[in-house]
Amino acid sequence: MEISRDAYRAIEDIVGTENVTDDPAFLDSYAFEWLAELVRPNRSHYMPRPWAVVMPASTREVQAVTKVCNKYKIKIKPISTGWYHWAAPMKDNEPTVQLDLRRMNRIIDIDEKNRFAIVEPYVICAQLQAEAMKLGLNCNIIGAGSSTSVVASACAYFGGGPSSHYMGNNSDNLLGQEWVTPVGKVVRTGSLSSGAGWFCSEGPGPSVRGVTRGNLGSRGGLGTYTKCAIKLADWPGPTEFEVKGRPPGYRLPVGENFRAYTIGAPNWDAWANCYYAIYDNGLGYIFHRQLNLAGANLATALWLTYIDPTKTLNDVETLAKDPEIIAINEKARISFQLILAAQSVDGIQLQDKILDQILSQTGCYKVERYCQQDMAEFTNMYMQRLGHKHCNFIWAGGYMGSWMQAGTPDFVKGYVPTAIKGFEEDQQSHLLVECGGDALMGCGSTLGGGGYFGLEQFVSYDPASDASIDACIKHMEDAIADCVAQGLPLGKELLYLQIGWSDQRIWDGMAKAPQTFVLDFQRQFKEAVDPNSLGDRNYPWLPEKWGQAPAQAK
Amino acid sequence: METKRRQLAAIVGEDNVLDDPKILEEFSSDESLCEPLRPWFVVRPANESEVQALVKWANTTVTPLVPVSSGAPHFYGDTVPTVAEAVIVDLSRMKEIKRIDRRNRIAVIEPGVTYSELAPALAREGLRIPRPLAPRANKSVVASLLERQPTTIPRLNFSLPEPLRNCGVVWGSGDLAFTGEAGNGPLNLEAQWQRGLAQVDGKGPLATDLMRLVTGAQGSMGIVIWASIKLELIPTVRSYFFVPHSELSGLVDFIYKLTKVRLGDETLLLNRAKLAALVEPQPAAARKLREALPEWVALVGLAGTALFPEERLKVQEKEFRALVQEFRLTLCGGFAGVSRADVVRLIDGDSGDHPPTLTAKGASQDIFFLTTLDKAPGLIETVRSVAARFDYPWPDVGIYVQPQHQGVAHHVEFNFPYDPSDAKEVAKARDIYLEASAELIDQGAYFSRPYGYWSELVYQRDASSTEILRTVKQIVDPTNIMNPGKLCF
Amino acid sequence: MTIQDYRADALRCTRCAYCKWVPLDLMKSWRFSKGCPSVEYGKFHSYSAGGRLITSLSLMDGRSTVTDKVKDSVFMCNMCGSCDVACKVCRYDMEPLLAMHALRAKLVEDGDLPEAFQPMLESLRKDYNTMGEPHERRGDWAKDLGVKDLTKTTAKYVFHAGCRYSFDGEQSEVARTAVEILKKAGVDFGIMGAAESCCGGKAFSIGVDQQLHNSADHNLAAWKKAGVDTVITPCADCYYAFKRLYTKHAGSTIKVVHMVELLDQMVTDGRLKMTNPVPMKVTYHDPCHLGRQGEDYVPWDGVEKKIFGQAVVYDPPRPRYNGAFGVYDAPRNVLKAIPGVELVEMERIKEGAWCCGAGGGAREAYPKFSEWTAGERIEEAESTGADALVTACPWCERNFIDAVRGTKGKLEVLDILQLVAMAL
Repeated sequence: MEISRDAYRAIEDIVGTENVTDDPAFLDSYAFEWLAELVRPNRSHYMPRPWAVVMPASTREVQAVTKVCNKYKIKIKPISTGWYHWAAPMKDNEPTVQLDLRRMNRIIDIDEKNRFAIVEPYVICAQLQAEAMKLGLNCNIIGAGSSTSVVASACAYFGGGPSSHYMGNNSDNLLGQEWVTPVGKVVRTGSLSSGAGWFCSEGPGPSVRGVTRGNLGSRGGLGTYTKCAIKLADWPGPTEFEVKGRPPGYRLPVGENFRAYTIGAPNWDAWANCYYAIYDNGLGYIFHRQLNLAGANLATALWLTYIDPTKTLNDVETLAKDPEIIAINEKARISFQLILAAQSVDGIQLQDKILDQILSQTGCYKVERYCQQDMAEFTNMYMQRLGHKHCNFIWAGGYMGSWMQAGTPDFVKGYVPTAIKGFEEDQQSHLLVECGGDALMGCGSTLGGGGYFGLEQFVSYDPASDASIDACIKHMEDAIADCVAQGLPLGKELLYLQIGWSDQRIWDGMAKAPQTFVLDFQRQFKEAVDPNSLGDRNYPWLPEKWGQAPAQAK
Repeated sequence: METKRRQLAAIVGEDNVLDDPKILEEFSSDESLCEPLRPWFVVRPANESEVQALVKWANTTVTPLVPVSSGAPHFYGDTVPTVAEAVIVDLSRMKEIKRIDRRNRIAVIEPGVTYSELAPALAREGLRIPRPLAPRANKSVVASLLERQPTTIPRLNFSLPEPLRNCGVVWGSGDLAFTGEAGNGPLNLEAQWQRGLAQVDGKGPLATDLMRLVTGAQGSMGIVIWASIKLELIPTVRSYFFVPHSELSGLVDFIYKLTKVRLGDETLLLNRAKLAALVEPQPAAARKLREALPEWVALVGLAGTALFPEERLKVQEKEFRALVQEFRLTLCGGFAGVSRADVVRLIDGDSGDHPPTLTAKGASQDIFFLTTLDKAPGLIETVRSVAARFDYPWPDVGIYVQPQHQGVAHHVEFNFPYDPSDAKEVAKARDIYLEASAELIDQGAYFSRPYGYWSELVYQRDASSTEILRTVKQIVDPTNIMNPGKLCF
Repeated sequence: MTIQDYRADALRCTRCAYCKWVPLDLMKSWRFSKGCPSVEYGKFHSYSAGGRLITSLSLMDGRSTVTDKVKDSVFMCNMCGSCDVACKVCRYDMEPLLAMHALRAKLVEDGDLPEAFQPMLESLRKDYNTMGEPHERRGDWAKDLGVKDLTKTTAKYVFHAGCRYSFDGEQSEVARTAVEILKKAGVDFGIMGAAESCCGGKAFSIGVDQQLHNSADHNLAAWKKAGVDTVITPCADCYYAFKRLYTKHAGSTIKVVHMVELLDQMVTDGRLKMTNPVPMKVTYHDPCHLGRQGEDYVPWDGVEKKIFGQAVVYDPPRPRYNGAFGVYDAPRNVLKAIPGVELVEMERIKEGAWCCGAGGGAREAYPKFSEWTAGERIEEAESTGADALVTACPWCERNFIDAVRGTKGKLEVLDILQLVAMAL
């Protein structure tokens, strides 16, 4: 569909000529996205190209651009740090403005007393954490790591991370937010709507934020979030990290009121019991099954290699055969990381005592090698700043997360064997990294206080190899088939694959959901707030009566 | 009318359709100063299918429904019809505690379950839920949570709706759908439990937070027929402390620090009038007690739970005392006239059938809002000046400040006792309510639960939010049969 | 290597944007969290290392062509290597800096080098320097110093001043100071004087690879003829060129020492006695080519292979260059040994240092960007409360001096040799 050049000129007038481009190579830098090769025709690494990339500097500019897009019927896809194929335009031949929010990058304020920060979309978690720490505060960093946008995880997508167990899910940490709707109106939610400041996300009356957030979030498919306030938590540590060591394995000494442990379990029952005991006892500042992302067969060899700056990945092969490493690996096979923090030395000693008792009761243990100084400090650094999250890709450059169905520890334990077995089988093609069937990673809890999380298989494939890409796609399909066979809800792989499906195929699947109320709601809500349909299908909806018998269908 | 009566009886049974004038009179007004309006019927459904049938019937006949879960007295006008020909849907028969899941610490209950009914059932499993301050005995747990009534343990308050998680809702359209995690699974709780799902995550499904659309809604979106709630362990050992001060501002920094480091369980601030009224049911005795109390107290409960409870308590007490000292405050275990048993009753018990706010003079005009703690003293001053303007005796005003959301938001509440049989006092109470509310919102108070007049103040301030809420209402209750006339609807 | 050789890297880029920041673990504030000057100034993703990988891919795939905007996105970059360090924290074996170089070389080969570089290249061809100065004047800075002329005699060490110190009258004092120190230490050295030739590093950095080969061939031959086995230089750019580029591209085996390394050794073994107090608070800027890009180069010729099915490794194992072993301690040791000097560190140091803005051809072709980059670093230096910003590279110094003058700032900009001279 041809868009009038007037639209481009109008946008230039708003943001300045230097802040908009339709240069093809520039557009490709937004079309190119991780995971595109799994869903696009011919394994293309490019999602659809945007019609233009626009960089607004303010809410007012976002509004003005949105209004131009309404006039010319151009879709809008906001992007902040921009990671995941669904950050890109969704469909070919559907002109889309990629709204790159990197110029909106201010920490507007940190209210130290009331413990919240007001941020723009391009503030990343690491920046906010660094500033918050100066004030004895901390922020929840989501599982995708500290290079991610605070606004994105608070307003538009999931929001759980290793620190959620103590600091809460970013959806619950969201306070006031500023939302430019698809027609260019500004909606301020919660206390902001009454001019009472940013401190409360609920209400007035029913919470307006309820239409913009949910669990999955609108993922850029329903307007643009231009600011939000986020609740901060206590940080009982120093005002900045005194990082030691050389890249890549930076280390953070463990303070006297902190502990950094890797806890191992003899079996999954014990692991689940340990989780429940940790919840019941209110332990854990950061709680995550992180280091297993490398695969339980290879994790120890990898991390010991990684923290040595003189080594290469070739050394992993040698180390993985070392009997001593194999023995450590077995201890760490079913393990997770736990960072404790207390206000006082008395407090941390008591937490140690409680943890030891939990371990004794559940048959779990501290994995000794991982708790030695070098690994403990590396673990501490990794978990506190979450700046190594792209080690997800360390093996071959590609990673896709499958499974991740969320529930209680017992629920998750229930699908673990199937997930492990299936992944082991898929690795036999040699077209995925053979790290063992257990490369499951996940938060201790994505909800504050505990009790809920999912485990995600880290499937490592080579995006430069067509065969490896195909093997990854096959794994996703196998995982779906396994879930269907076991009567399990479908996992993250479905969300990824759907990006490459037609609308009709997606709707056919949605129509089979046991409850379609929210999809009907979202259709009607979209019709009301996005009459020109500028938001894409990242905000999912179901056409009226889709999938029902013809006599009843419209 | 008779036709409707028959139709209703066919749904809930003859005995559960009430139109006795005395009963209707009880529902036609409440303790607030809202305009009375008599409903036509009170119906008492027993289960989900009856509720759904009622809502479908209401859509067909365009009959307003007003859901009520708690027993009387009611306080904020939300359970009084605003339009004529309304039917009160009294959910108090729905009293099933469907499940108590100790391992996952989730309970699923129906709306008629009260705090006094739930507490012993939970206690048998060693569990409890964070509670509001001294709820009345017949207060519905689900209603309290849906209203976002503040609970007394801020460190557990990861979000304002906590501990509310999922809801089963018969929406105003007549559709039955679950919120949150439950919204992704089968439309049947047993089927979900069989799959190992436990209705834990409150968010969603998808991009909509359906639970948040029914909280604070005053029954205007749908009828909640069950709710899952997060539970906590009962402490093994506890201690309580009062930290007194002549001014609220003298306690602000201390409370900020306390909630920041999440030390302690119950954490609340009461002025002398409020504390006296809570403890002493006899008005004269309450007035006498009031004179002997400090102007303000912070009441803090420390608890030792799960493993090594005594040691936990010991460490907490040490840290607590250090904190009190850091802020140059004093500490006491109690006051003359306020025993430990009184405190336990406030924290863990209920106020029986006689809400403390009514004991002084028979009625109370309440004003409450959310703010940040640093603004609270200034906003209290605003209310004081309004009270002075109307010659209301300030020492009679009960004030309660409850940290919420782990100390970010604070509920600030004023109780103005008045004699409902004295027209002048009634007028004064109303005038104070109206004038103070208008000044408060101008100074940044947030009426997050906009009952009555507050809804006018709030929704006029922001057209965009109002428009969004009306859009939502239009979708989930297209015939506008759910408590019409409330909020901005 | 061509862009085709980095196609796999481009396909394996996940657009994670780590290349835009300092290594996340090292982030201490919002203000000084950024790592990549290019994307901070240019804003669009194409100005980042990840963006350039995609540009390469897009060109290879025939999806786009080289426009003026593309040229800008490729060349408005200091080639400082911050992206490379940050990327490799997680992406371990990706080579974004090398890939960006290959992209530049491709544009040069196709005739798409911006015109603004022509004066520098012309000067190199005609007068063997990047400064547009007549080559006859190159040795003038050393007149009357009584230094051996290695066109006429031999020595173990050659002192290579570099283009900047040779011709920038304001800065030549640093070279003279270095020479005096070497003489006092009894080092057997000489200079090439007017026959000294540019290291070729700057031309290489803009993708004119042939110039590097020309310079390397000339310099290595001249040094061999003079009996030299070690080159000493006070310039970080030259250091990098000799140590890394000559080894990799010209098979050089000559030893390379930066003056700060020599000073550090001399402090340790007592040959350098600094007794005059220099009461100054200073902060040290790690030059990119001495710091994160100053690691030893180990020749490697191998292929990619896979282990554990698809895990990518190299056969033989390929050395990693991620800034872990740059020259960071030597200058700091020297500064700490100067009596009276108080060293205060900026937030972005060592492998996480923010670039001075002079490198990669930015100063020549994108002066506003170059000046802005320097200005950012000046602000960071000022935030430490330091009296002076000290470094070990003439290009850094020149860019900082110009930036301070441009804002009429008070911060002094010094080479470490100047401080040492004050203390002697």
